[in-house]
Amino acid sequence: MTLDPIKAAFDPVALAVPIFVITIIGEILLGRFRKAKAVYEVRDTATSLGMGLGSQIAGLLTGAAIFGVTLWVYQYRLFTIPMTAIWAWVAVFFLEDLTYYWFHRLSHERRFWWASHVNHHTSQHYNLATALRQTWTGGIAGTWLLWLPLILVGFPPAMVVIQKGISLVYQYWIHTEAIRRFPRWFEAVFNTPSHHRVHHARNPRYLDANYAGILIIWDRMFGTWIPEDDAEPCRYGVVHNLGDFNIFRVAFHEWIAIGKDLAGSRSIREVFGYLFGPPGWSPDGSRDTSATLKAKWRAREAGAVSPATAAETVPLQAAE
Amino acid sequence: MTETLIRLAVSAMLVAVMIGVAAWARIARPTAPLDETAARDLLAGEFPDMKPDYIWIAGDGAGVIARAGAEALVIYRLGDSWVARSMPWRLALLAPVHRGKVLLKLRDPAAPMARLAVSGVTPWPPQSPAEALAA
Repeated sequence: MTLDPIKAAFDPVALAVPIFVITIIGEILLGRFRKAKAVYEVRDTATSLGMGLGSQIAGLLTGAAIFGVTLWVYQYRLFTIPMTAIWAWVAVFFLEDLTYYWFHRLSHERRFWWASHVNHHTSQHYNLATALRQTWTGGIAGTWLLWLPLILVGFPPAMVVIQKGISLVYQYWIHTEAIRRFPRWFEAVFNTPSHHRVHHARNPRYLDANYAGILIIWDRMFGTWIPEDDAEPCRYGVVHNLGDFNIFRVAFHEWIAIGKDLAGSRSIREVFGYLFGPPGWSPDGSRDTSATLKAKWRAREAGAVSPATAAETVPLQAAE
Repeated sequence: MTETLIRLAVSAMLVAVMIGVAAWARIARPTAPLDETAARDLLAGEFPDMKPDYIWIAGDGAGVIARAGAEALVIYRLGDSWVARSMPWRLALLAPVHRGKVLLKLRDPAAPMARLAVSGVTPWPPQSPAEALAA
């Protein structure tokens, strides 16, 4: 059997579209008839699905260029890995998932890439429609470069594309409140609705956690795993939620904010800080980052900061 | 190209169907108009380190402006959720009222403007208590 190493034989995401539609309608019906927890606000849903549709169009605009660069790199591959070898699929499964973990972590912890990824977190709801609230600017942000080492090693582009699609489809179904928890062994190995609810939460204790794609083991290995605590329900969205449902604001607000900050920059250090510092970075530390928000939360938990004292120190603007 | 356009058109139709089902289901969170207790709960969640010393609730109960020292803590309803920002209290007091709403410029590309309903009972700027007016 031969498989084209360049053009993917199938697109897992395209094949999953009917499943997306059926399961979203199913989740709404479960919520409507109180069979499971599911909350849908119409305009929020429209925004999520509109972003998903827009991301398809954005992908068409940048896809050809990304594909071209990928093919160019593939010419210089170190090995030629066969698409028909089972070991190769096992290897690409783990390596792609590891790549995804670092892509995702970078997308949260560095503002330039956060600007592209933030839109996925702007819904204050957590349902299957939220999963489709996808980026329009990922191609421009260049995070796809992180997958090029796999190509350089010799994994065929089609193989990587298929595995990326499988990962995306896997991550779709975990965007739900309808499922509480899986058996302990499954929660220990795989990314699940419970783990990913934490990832979408804006509670300080849950910030910057659970970056996994398919396997949660990476978060456990690299120290970013936080379990869902039933005593503190997840509040979804970003630290500073968006002011309306305008999909262009969803797609571009952080880029605009970066532009405003860069326009007011007074040194190279400030330019780099605003671009590549953590979201919320500011030269004088007057804004909050995830780290400062967590520190304040810990201080409150410890009872070390009284509201009156904290009021004097809380800055005017905070991180996303 | 034609196949791509057809795929996009079908996707758009499916999106419309899903939005229609969501509208029919009416399963958004319940959002009753704010009273003082609910407003204080919201403020405590959004601004846990701030201690509001004066609270103004919008005429329709869909928002609140609280004073905490020199800061105005602004929360307004968006769909079935809430949006929170802070701004200088002195600027909030100067915010214009237009067509029954106070317009607060939040200086944030993610949420440029808050519009909160005023009424005869809840005018803006607030007429009392006196300390609310002191910038």
